[in-house]
Formats: sequence, structure tokens, C-alpha cells
Amino acid sequence: MTRTKRLRATLDASPLTYVLVLLVAIVSIFPLYYTIVMASHTNAEMAASTPPMLPNGSLFSNIHKALQVAPLNKGLINSIIVSSCITAGTVGLCTLAGFAFAKLRFRGNNVLLAICIGTMMVPTQMGVIPLYMLMAKWGLAGHISSVILPTLVTAFGVFFMRQYISKAVPDELIESAYMDGASTTRVFTSIVVPAVRPAMAVLAMLTFLTAWNDFFWPMITLNSQNPTIQVAFQSLASGFAPQQSIVMAGTLYGTIPVLIVFALLGRQIVGGIMEGAVKG
Amino acid sequence: MRLRGTRRRTAASMLALVTAGALSLAGCGSSSDNTSDSAGGGASASAGPCGTTKPTTLTVGLYGTFGFKENGLWDAYKKVCPNITIKEDDVEQSADYWTKLKTRLASGSGLDDVQGIEIGFVGDVLANHADQFVNWQTVPNAAADKAEFYPWKWNMATTADGKDTVGLGTDTGPQSICYRADLFKQAGLPTDTATLTKDFSTWDGLLNLGKQYEASKTKPEGSSFIDSVNSIFNAAVYQGTEAYDDDSGQPDVANSDGVKNAWKIATEAAQDKISAGLAQWGPDWNKAFSSGTFAALACPTWMMGYIQGQAGDAGSGKWAVSPVMPGGASNWGGSWLGVPKASKNQPAAIALVEWLSNKGNQVTMWTSPSQGGHWPSNSQAAADPSVSGATSTYFSGDPIGQIYSKIANQMKIPPIGQYDTQIQSDINTQLTNVETKGTSPSSAWSAALNAIKQVTG
Amino acid sequence: MVTITAEPAAGEEISRRRPRRPRARSRGSRIAYVYILPFFVVFAAFSVYPWLDTAWVSLHDVRLSTYDQQTWVGLANYRNLLTNSFFWNAFRNTVTIGIISAVPQLCIALGIAHLLNHKLRGRTFFRVALLMPYATSLAAATVIFIELFDPRTGLIDWALHALHLPRVDWQGSKWPAQFAISSIVMWRWTGYNALIFLAGLQAVDQELYAAAAVDGAGKWAQFRHVTLPGLRPTIIFAIVVSTIGSAQLFGEPLLYSPQHLPDGGTQGQYQTLGLLMYQQGWANDRLGLASATAWTMFVIILLAVLVNLLIARRRQRRA
Repeated sequence: MTRTKRLRATLDASPLTYVLVLLVAIVSIFPLYYTIVMASHTNAEMAASTPPMLPNGSLFSNIHKALQVAPLNKGLINSIIVSSCITAGTVGLCTLAGFAFAKLRFRGNNVLLAICIGTMMVPTQMGVIPLYMLMAKWGLAGHISSVILPTLVTAFGVFFMRQYISKAVPDELIESAYMDGASTTRVFTSIVVPAVRPAMAVLAMLTFLTAWNDFFWPMITLNSQNPTIQVAFQSLASGFAPQQSIVMAGTLYGTIPVLIVFALLGRQIVGGIMEGAVKG
Repeated sequence: MRLRGTRRRTAASMLALVTAGALSLAGCGSSSDNTSDSAGGGASASAGPCGTTKPTTLTVGLYGTFGFKENGLWDAYKKVCPNITIKEDDVEQSADYWTKLKTRLASGSGLDDVQGIEIGFVGDVLANHADQFVNWQTVPNAAADKAEFYPWKWNMATTADGKDTVGLGTDTGPQSICYRADLFKQAGLPTDTATLTKDFSTWDGLLNLGKQYEASKTKPEGSSFIDSVNSIFNAAVYQGTEAYDDDSGQPDVANSDGVKNAWKIATEAAQDKISAGLAQWGPDWNKAFSSGTFAALACPTWMMGYIQGQAGDAGSGKWAVSPVMPGGASNWGGSWLGVPKASKNQPAAIALVEWLSNKGNQVTMWTSPSQGGHWPSNSQAAADPSVSGATSTYFSGDPIGQIYSKIANQMKIPPIGQYDTQIQSDINTQLTNVETKGTSPSSAWSAALNAIKQVTG
Repeated sequence: MVTITAEPAAGEEISRRRPRRPRARSRGSRIAYVYILPFFVVFAAFSVYPWLDTAWVSLHDVRLSTYDQQTWVGLANYRNLLTNSFFWNAFRNTVTIGIISAVPQLCIALGIAHLLNHKLRGRTFFRVALLMPYATSLAAATVIFIELFDPRTGLIDWALHALHLPRVDWQGSKWPAQFAISSIVMWRWTGYNALIFLAGLQAVDQELYAAAAVDGAGKWAQFRHVTLPGLRPTIIFAIVVSTIGSAQLFGEPLLYSPQHLPDGGTQGQYQTLGLLMYQQGWANDRLGLASATAWTMFVIILLAVLVNLLIARRRQRRA
């Protein structure tokens, strides 16, 4: 471990690195910042010819109004449940399957993988109709589970884990474990999982956000009594005169929890990335 | 974390199995054919004005804002029928709502007890789904219901053979021209009722006013007369004998007198350069209400509410409503409420819809300040003094009740076809090209027909 | 010069000491199905079934309004597309927007990942910041970009005006609109791809960098001979996924239209294949045609992925 730390020190950050990374961070965050600016003014203030660049005081009153027109709290709770379940399922099942595709030899390995990647190449929008019919037949339409189940596993996740595992876990290591009499399960839990924690962490973050951002399918299957956050956002632009500042305030309210989760868990998750592969 | 996901997954699939099992058992026994219309049979007199005496929850599927909740109608109904609980199911954009409704209608499940039907897709509902909705000509109160509405509003929701009406009207959109009286004055245009009644009574008159505005040396810099030539086209296209369909209900855009006339006027307006060329409903158009980039636009009553929302208090007293609509009368927007036959609470849903469309409630929807300008489809409501005599301080004290009453009473509309919304959208796109990109009307016309072919197949 | 050929990773040193024996992998075959099964049950029901159904629908004339009346038309929908000017316009736009947005994006993402792989203060902040664009609601972000690019009141045209450059019509003209949309796409997805690369970078054995440094390799040489080969599976993944993403691009051009219409501008100047499919399926209610577009996109994407992988392999061999 210590040796790794000393080696890592060779990747010291120069001032130029800091400047570049800061630039990237500013560009990434600016629209979010501007959302805060828009959310903290009234509609009339925003329509001024030179738009304001600093936040103002109307943030909480706008959020209050937003909460009155849209079921944001319900949407937040549902989205947290949905995204967490999807993330848990995806990371778990895709790591299992990715391991099998990468390291285990079985009939149909390449064919199944090809089908997986093949499904990624066809846009899934048109599949919404048969999917809804299926959910309706099973009585799941309108329930949260109808949003969770279809993306509980993704071809993206399997492909991602497969690539990572094929790279991060050398065949020789697995071979020697087999020689030592380990079962496949033992190999998986003791060798593979620790080695792929960075990938699992990244997949978790990306899956969580992708599930959070999903609008079309939840809109089709859910009702506004039981919305996810993206569906709830739709009601923000309600009324004959949609107010941009209310829309922005509501959107902010629905995005902040994600940011908080990432800020708090970021240390944990990112720590997972930093730790990297276990030696030996 | 993985364990939690597994547990939930198991729970979900167990639920699915159990539900599927229960549903299939239930399906064996009950009759699910839609031909036995239980609407008439169920609403017996003993069930009372609420359609049922049992505690019932009704789901109401709506889009945009109907404004029922905001105007306290749900609360009021709770007092009238304490056993009925109402749950709204909203999808903001009517296009998304329609996609969702089509999916539900195709699968036959997931429908609400009451579903909103917008003028944009009522043609499709009539052509393809009339048999999935309760026929308002067969409900117990059918005659009384029909008598309440403007005949043209009732007919718009009735099939071509006249036998099937799928919805009762909520609001409707008789339209006039809303204009910035202050900008007109500044540009030296007339603003008195008598002159405007003459000038705005024909489309040519409107175009002349437009040219006068553009030529004016005193008008504000960068201001154009009208927001978009689509204001003109969309209003004029339904003023002929045919709009987008021929007699048999088939789309026939090239030969329609309404389309040809409206196209002629709109392209003339574009080439006279009286338009600001804005994309309606876009962010620039929204800002233009306060910035004065245009001085006039097509204006159904609900647009008055929109203007107030966008221009705010600063616009009060600056706007006005034209006393007449060019070409006579025209309609923009409007909705109905239908009851899907799949509803398990048909009598209660029917009672709710009838209550919502009654005179008193439609007057409430108009007079309430919180939502802008729902003109009633109920002609008795429109005759009520608080509607027909309404004036608006925001709109320079104009007698809006009188103006719109007259227009609504004069209304004549050719039938709405199932592709109308898309066809109009494609034509609007090409008209924008004519007014902003200098595309020639003839190439814009062929491009429009080409795009329309993609819709109709 | 240092040449690294083996795929470096954990534990290699140790296993090298053991003699190689024939692989006892056949033990894996039965248990492999246990690992695959949970994935495939869900996948088959919810991904494969709609996937196949879409293909079936593409061979019919179907409208959602008349869903139970599906008329068999064979390949007519596909023939329609091949002779349809809207299709080819969307195809061209997809290629141009795809190239403009994907190629710089992947290079920048790789660069950012490399930067973040250093020992930085505030690492967590930067890495979370990377995902902020993806976490920001697309609708909200697009509104901001539209404001920036607004021909009348936008910041960018104001800046151009201040620099005595001609104003640009970012909505109406083809290349400016595609450039604006590409910038939204780049803003949104670069951090996403950077994180994927970052994860991949963690799998590169740090000892190899030290060994390379000892052998006298500078930073750039280290990058070419340690980082890039180590990242190969991740790069392949990123190329495949971003090709697919670019080809299916839909949300950004839809929200860039001021009225959120799927026609990609009044002259279709930024209508992508994804938007065309959306327009056909949901606006025009021609599900059969839209499904045919979806499967035609499959063929296009497959070819594009293969081409991209070939190019990447050539480049890698040369490097």
C-alpha cells in the first residue's frame, strides 16, 4: 500500500493542472449557477434587457410557489426510491453478468453479448408501447415498479463491467485462484469485486443520474398522483402564463437533493475510485 | 445495497405475479365488452345527482390547466357530493397527454374516469375512438345537456354521422385581435371603436392597418404590427367551407377553400413585412409582450390571461381588444370532458362532468381572477350578465363580454379532421420561412405539402 | 525507449512466478449461467421483447390511434425511408452534429480524466463537478444555452457585436445551429465520459509509470505507452457508447427548438435521426415508419461503430 502511495506521488499536480481543472469546473457548474440566479429573481426582473448575473432574494418564495403548483416532494421521494433501486440492481446484476462475459467460458457467450450490444443500438423510444402493454397486462402500469423493472439491468452496464473486468482482473490471477481450489463464487467475491470497485462506483453514479433524468417512460406509465421528479417538473410550467423563475426554482428544488447526495457520498464514492485495485 | 435491491426486486415480482393472478381470475368472471352500455342503465334516479351514493374516488385526467382546482370547483363538489373524492391526473403538455391517452386507449387500461379532450385531437378521437367513450346522446340527461351548449361546440365533438358525441364542452376559444393601444396611438393608428370596427372587419382591412403601422415614422423602433403571420393563417383557415378535410373526412389540403384563402392572406402579410416573425410560444415571443416587439396578435379569451401573465402589471391599460374579428368569427382552442367506457364509475363520472359544464360553474370559471379567461361553451352561461357584460380594466376597459359573445354567437366551423393539428403545424413552419427567410410562397407551399404527406401517408 | 506490451494490472508479478497450467475454465460453464440468468430474465422481458416488437411493427403500417389495425406492408416502410428527403437530411445532420460533438468531446474527456488522475487538492469537488452538467435538468440547461445563443438578446451575439463581428443566427442558419447544439451536447456529456475514462485510468498499474520514468520516458511518452494501451478496453467502450449516443441524439435538438417541436428548425436544419423518429412516431402517429427508422438507425450505428473501432485500432497500432 505504501509503495502505491509513493508511486502515486509521481502524478503530482502542477499549477497548470489546477488552472485547467478549475476552468472545466467553472464551465460545468455555470448553468447550474445561472439556474440559481434565474430562480432567485421574479419573472419580470428576468425579462429585463440585460439579464442579471447575481442571485437575488426571491429564491424561497419562488420555491414555495413551485411547491404549490407541482408535486415536487412526492416526485423527489419516488425518484429517490426508483433511482436507488435501479442503481442497486444494475450495479449488482451487471457486475455478475459482466464477470461471466469477461472471464467465464460458456456456450453463447459471444452471441448473447452481441445481442446485448445490439439492443443498445436501437433507440428504445418505440419500445415504450409494447412495454406499456406488457405492464398493463401484468397490472403494474401506474406503479413505481413499472419504472424500476425495465431498467433494472442495462446493456450499457453489462458492457461497461465486462470491459472493465476483462482489463482489471488478469486471467493469471484467476487461474492461480482456481489452482488453489477456490470456487468461482470465491473468485468473484474475493478477487473480482475488490478489483472493480472503481468501476462499480462510476457505474452507480451514472446509472443513478440516468434513472433520475428519465422522463418519457415515467410520463407514459405513471400518473401525476405518483410521479417521479421529471414528471413532476412538467407541472411547473402550468397555468396559462408559465413563469420561468418558478420553473427554474422548482427544477432547482428537484436537483439539489442529487447534488447533496453526491457531495456527501462523493467522498465515499470517489474514495472508492482512488483506492483502485487491491494488490496481491 | 445489493441486498436491498434484491429484496425490492423480489417484492415487485411477487406483486406482479399476485396481481396478474388476481386480474386473470377477475377477468374470467366479469363482462368486459363495451357494447353493453352501462352508462344509461347505471344512472338510475335512485343513485341521486351524484351518480352514486357509495364513497367513490374519481380520477380526472387533464392537461395544461383547466383551472378546476385553482377555482375551487373540487372543493365545491365535495360539498355537493361528500361521498365523491376527486383526484386529478395532470400531464402538462397536451401533446404528451395525448400520447399517453392514445397508449391507454390502445391498451384499454389505465384510463381515468374522466378524460380531457382537446380540440387538437378531438378529430382523431371522433374518427378512431368514439366507441370507447360514453355517448352523451344516450345518457339520461342527454337532451338537457345538448341544449346547454353552443351548437357548433357540441357538433365539434360529434361524429360525422351525427350519432355519437364524445364530450361535454368546458371552455372554448372565440377570438378577436388584441392590440397595444398605446403603440397604435404612438404610430398614429386609429383606436376608436367605430373606425376599428370598420378596419378590423376584413382581413384586407387588417393588412392595411398593418402597412400603415410599418410605414409610420412615429412607431417604436424595431416594432412590427403582428407577432407572426400564423396569427392570421390559423384564424382564417377555419373561416371557409372546408378546412383541412374534404366532405368525406379525408385530408385534402390543396383543394380546400379555407386553406387557399388563409394562405393567400398570410403570405401577403409576410411579403408586406408587417410581421415580427416570432415563433409563437417560444421565449422571444414571451418577452415580446412586455417589450412591444409586436403590436397585435390573434387573441382568444384565454390569451388575455396569458398576456397578463407575461406583460405583468406594467401592461395594464396598454392593451385593448378589437371589437370585431376579421372575417367574422374564429375559434382557437377549447376542450371537452369525456368519460371512457372503461371507467368503473360511469354514473358518478357522468354526473361530475355534467356538473362541471353547468351554467353556474362555467360562469365561475370565467369570473374567477386566478385563471385567465375561460370562455364558457355553455351558451346559457355566456348569456349570464357577469359574462356577457364583462369588461376588463387591463384591456383599456373594453367590453370583452360583449365582443366575445357576438363572435361566439356568429361562429361557423367546418369539421375538424384527425390530422388537423399536424397539418397546421407544418403549414405554420413554412409560413415562418416565408416571413423570416424570404422563402417564396410557392416553394414554401410545396414544402408544406411534402411535410403533410409525411403525416397522412 | 520503453515498450509495454502485456496488460498490466494487479498481482501480475506474483502470478508470473507460477508455472502455467492448462486452464481449468470449463468448470466455469455451468455456473456462468447462474451469473447470467438474473440479468437475462429481466433483460429478455423488458429490453429484448420491445426490441423485437419494434422490428415487427416496422413491417406494418401502424398508428397508435388505430393500434389494433396493423396492416402488413413488408419492407415498404424501409423503402419509404430510403427515398425520403427528410430521412437523408436527418442522416446528414446526425453525421455532422455527431462528428462535431463527439470527437472533440472524447479527446477533452480523456484529457480531463488524465488531469484528475493527479494528486489534486479538492479532488472530490472536481470529480463531482464533472457530473453537474449531467445532473442539471436538460430542460433548464437548454433554456440557458438558448438565452446565450439568442440572436436578439443573447450574450454571444452581443459579444460578437462588441468585437465588430457580424451577428450570427444561431437558430435559423444550419451550421451555427448545429454548432450551438453540439456545444450543449459537449457540455453535457464530456464530464460523463471523463469519469468513465477516470475509472479506466485507475486500472492502469501505477508501477508502470514509475518504470517508464526510470527508463527516461517523459510525460507524453508515458501517456502514449502506458496510459493509452492500458485504457484500450475503456476507449473501445467509450467509442462504441458515444457513437451510439451521437447517432441517437434527440433531447438536445428537441429542446433547442423554441417551441420544442421535433422538426429540427423551420427547414429541418438540425433535425437528427432521433428527432425524425420522434416526429414520425409521436407527432405524426406513424409507428411503423418510426420503427423502421429505429431499425435503420441500428444498421447505421452498427456500421459507424465498426468503422470507428477500425480507425481506433489503426491509430493504436501506429502509436
